[in-house]
Amino acid sequence: METRKPARERETDDRRDEGISSGVEGFNDRARRAVADQRLHDSIEVFTHKSVAGRNAVLDALPEAPELRERAYRIKQETMAHLDRYLEQMADAVEARSGNVFFATDGEDVVRYIGDLARSKGAKVITKSKSMATEEIELNKRLEEDYADLDLEIVETDLGEWIAQLAGDTPSHIVGPILHMNRKRITEVLSRTAGEELPPDVEALGSFARRRLREKFLTADIGITGANFGVAETGTVVTVTNEGNARLVTSVPPVHVVVMGIEKLVPCFEDLSVFVRLLARSSTGQKLSVYTNFITGPRQTGELDGAEELHLILMDNGRSKLLGTEFEEALYCIRCGACLNVCPVYRQTGGHAYGSTYSGPIGAVITPLLKGHDEAKDLPYASSLCGACWEACPVGIPLHDLLLKLRNQQVEEGLAGKAQEIAFKGFESTMKRPVLYNISSRAGRLAQKPLEKDGSMRPLPGPLSAWTDSREMPPLAAKSFRELWKEGI
Amino acid sequence: MRVALFVPCYVDLIKPEVGVSVVRVLRRLGVDVIYPEGQTCCGQPAFNSGFFDEARAVGRHFLEVFERERFDYVVCPSGSCTTMVSHYYPFIFKDLPEERERSEGFAERVREFSDFLVNVLGVKDLGARLEGKAVFHCGCHQRRELGVLDEPYGLLRNVEGLDLVDWQNEELCCGFGGTFSVKMPDVSTAMADEKIKALDESGADTLISGDSSCLMHLEGRLRRKGHDTRVLHLAQVLDDGKAG
Amino acid sequence: MPGRTEFLQSIRHRTRAGRYKPTNAPDVAWTGESREGEQIEDPPARFIEELEALGGHAKRVGDWEGAREYVLELARERGAKLLVRWDVDELETLGVDGPLSDAGTEVAVWRELADFKEVAGKADIGLSTAAWAVAETGTLVLEGGTGRGRSVTLLPPTYVAVVPVNRVMRTVPEAIEKYAANGLPANVSFHTGPSRSGDIEMALFVGMHGPGDVHVILVG
Repeated sequence: METRKPARERETDDRRDEGISSGVEGFNDRARRAVADQRLHDSIEVFTHKSVAGRNAVLDALPEAPELRERAYRIKQETMAHLDRYLEQMADAVEARSGNVFFATDGEDVVRYIGDLARSKGAKVITKSKSMATEEIELNKRLEEDYADLDLEIVETDLGEWIAQLAGDTPSHIVGPILHMNRKRITEVLSRTAGEELPPDVEALGSFARRRLREKFLTADIGITGANFGVAETGTVVTVTNEGNARLVTSVPPVHVVVMGIEKLVPCFEDLSVFVRLLARSSTGQKLSVYTNFITGPRQTGELDGAEELHLILMDNGRSKLLGTEFEEALYCIRCGACLNVCPVYRQTGGHAYGSTYSGPIGAVITPLLKGHDEAKDLPYASSLCGACWEACPVGIPLHDLLLKLRNQQVEEGLAGKAQEIAFKGFESTMKRPVLYNISSRAGRLAQKPLEKDGSMRPLPGPLSAWTDSREMPPLAAKSFRELWKEGI
Repeated sequence: MRVALFVPCYVDLIKPEVGVSVVRVLRRLGVDVIYPEGQTCCGQPAFNSGFFDEARAVGRHFLEVFERERFDYVVCPSGSCTTMVSHYYPFIFKDLPEERERSEGFAERVREFSDFLVNVLGVKDLGARLEGKAVFHCGCHQRRELGVLDEPYGLLRNVEGLDLVDWQNEELCCGFGGTFSVKMPDVSTAMADEKIKALDESGADTLISGDSSCLMHLEGRLRRKGHDTRVLHLAQVLDDGKAG
Repeated sequence: MPGRTEFLQSIRHRTRAGRYKPTNAPDVAWTGESREGEQIEDPPARFIEELEALGGHAKRVGDWEGAREYVLELARERGAKLLVRWDVDELETLGVDGPLSDAGTEVAVWRELADFKEVAGKADIGLSTAAWAVAETGTLVLEGGTGRGRSVTLLPPTYVAVVPVNRVMRTVPEAIEKYAANGLPANVSFHTGPSRSGDIEMALFVGMHGPGDVHVILVG
């Protein structure tokens, strides 16, 4: 048995900062560093390539895939249309099976509830399986700070999440959290935790992790998971992993807490047939993840393991304000990560450049929606609008159109900046009047003369320098198409 | 068959030779081509930056200009501009029933150049010839919103002397994205570099696309990196590789 | 912290007609061109194929005798000191307790255990049956309940399940429908192959937090 050290000195001291706190830097600045990192680029390329190839093969082999995609969209649409009713049904069903239900408006509520629960149980060790919802609210950090007197040890159990936690780092991909960490770094981190030099091979590192985390699994007082899905009809919570950590988090400790975003609900158990067939396939190219677990209430009489108490926390944290709006579709996401894997921008920058719990296309959409534009001004522009995300999404969410709408929202709220407003007003004036357009283009041709050299533009000032810094820019043609047309083609 | 030509603003001002090739190719196929001279731009730059009101104003002008004319189809040598008109005009006019109806009716008759050749004129082999080893870059809007991918490939495979080869990451965006190219320049450039790496690995000496905007971005980066790859719009290739 | 009523009331649900727009894009997944739905002709054979492809071991035997032999052989090969098993009739029928004990493998039954963690945590092999098996994916469907410890299927590094062959169903949707129609125990779990992780530079590590050595014996 390990002697208890103060939280800040313990090996699982979670000091991760939510990326949004780096709001001063823009996406391009963070991305610039990522883009220069060849090793990161190679890791992302291999990971995304493999994931996409797997996904293509396994979905191509599923004849009903197109139909499932549409059904998934319709099920989510129906769920959101009557979310209050389904939430109530879920709560009733869980309570009918002797579970406890708590409605949390925001992260603060969640932290309070879990902290108070931990206090009432005299809990010391908490094991956690991967949950983006808990990362979104910085649960670990806030519990350690606000309930410091409890001396809680909160241990991430997903291998990648645990390594990130030990390193004081944050995940950079929904499915492969430490995609950005190389073996050398991982070996360093785990050796430090082990208190001895571990060999840099996967077998040794993985075995150490298994042994060390096994100790935590078996001594945990409370297990916290997220939920991949919640079934309103039956009160069932679904967890999906390849490692089996969610199973151990929910089977061993006497208390199980689920932190579930309210949008994770589906109306009935049968609906899972659609989502379970799509999730693993879109995410990792597997037909099914290794452990797909359906939990309905705490353990039944006669069972020796499984939680004695189940606490389901239904968390809003900004989701409900999207209901019925043009952004509602952002709530249909099942967090498979397919959009990250196909995104050409993500491919170059990795997840940390987004500065948010959620990265890639879905991150660029929901971060400003959940946290407000002030905190994520750049993200709607972190996209070339190629539409690959929409194409890959197993639920058919038009992420690229949602990004456009977010840009429009920023303009409407006056966040676009005076320079752009003036530029596009000018654009409108010119483009509405052919005469003005013609005058402007002739003027442009005159103006560019001193700036042109050898068929290309010299380095240009202002915003256009962003182009000429790395690319040649062609000059305006001596004669425009309409002039050539007038002369006769 | 009477076609009204919709020439993207950057083709008009920077690469007019592309427009010229379009006209020549269409005329050779017996199409009567008109060019509504009041046209300026489809409004996409404003739209992509979130300035929907301004895009609507420009869109209204566009509709007025073309509605005055008589034609069977509007043909445009750009997947992204075609998408703006056929898909996104109804989108931006969603809450304005009159304009929405006008744009929806109009949308059906606006066709991207290769789509028009193959699916309306039923032509796959124009008897064009061009020597070289080429890769084709399909613009994202053309690929995903319009679903016009087989058509340009089909047309290019029939070009005599042209060795059309596969390249890695064929479906990946070139990184232009309109104002994205100057708002996120490091990422945009890195995306271009990814495509250029694939181009190099393919051994091609020619880059072809149906979107001049993609070509402007990729060519800009190619030249900065000292590549002398030949860069041509699909229309130029079909016009026997007319560079200008 | 809000009460339930306030929370639900604040969920405004202005319904709006959805705008589902299927992709025009030539994505291989959604453009269902000539794909035939394949029928699974021989579920047990398909199950074995799928599980083996995942790195698990599967075998069909004619009777409980054959199953018993398999388990005894496995215990011998693994040098198992302790095996923990579910407390269910079928495993009584299997009758491995005596022979294993004779061969030097202690058998713990999931019944009235003072500290289940002690037992399951120390066991070399976990043995259970399964409610169903799914041929399409090589999946075991495990129901929790009295005598059916979850830890038996998770903690020991080697795991073996014995399943009568008439409980092999064809597809995942069928398995889900079973529970949609008939109600759910506190825990139902789909186990598909050995536990794995790819978090360290995408290199495969087998047996992360669950058994890495997985065996399924189909009986009949």
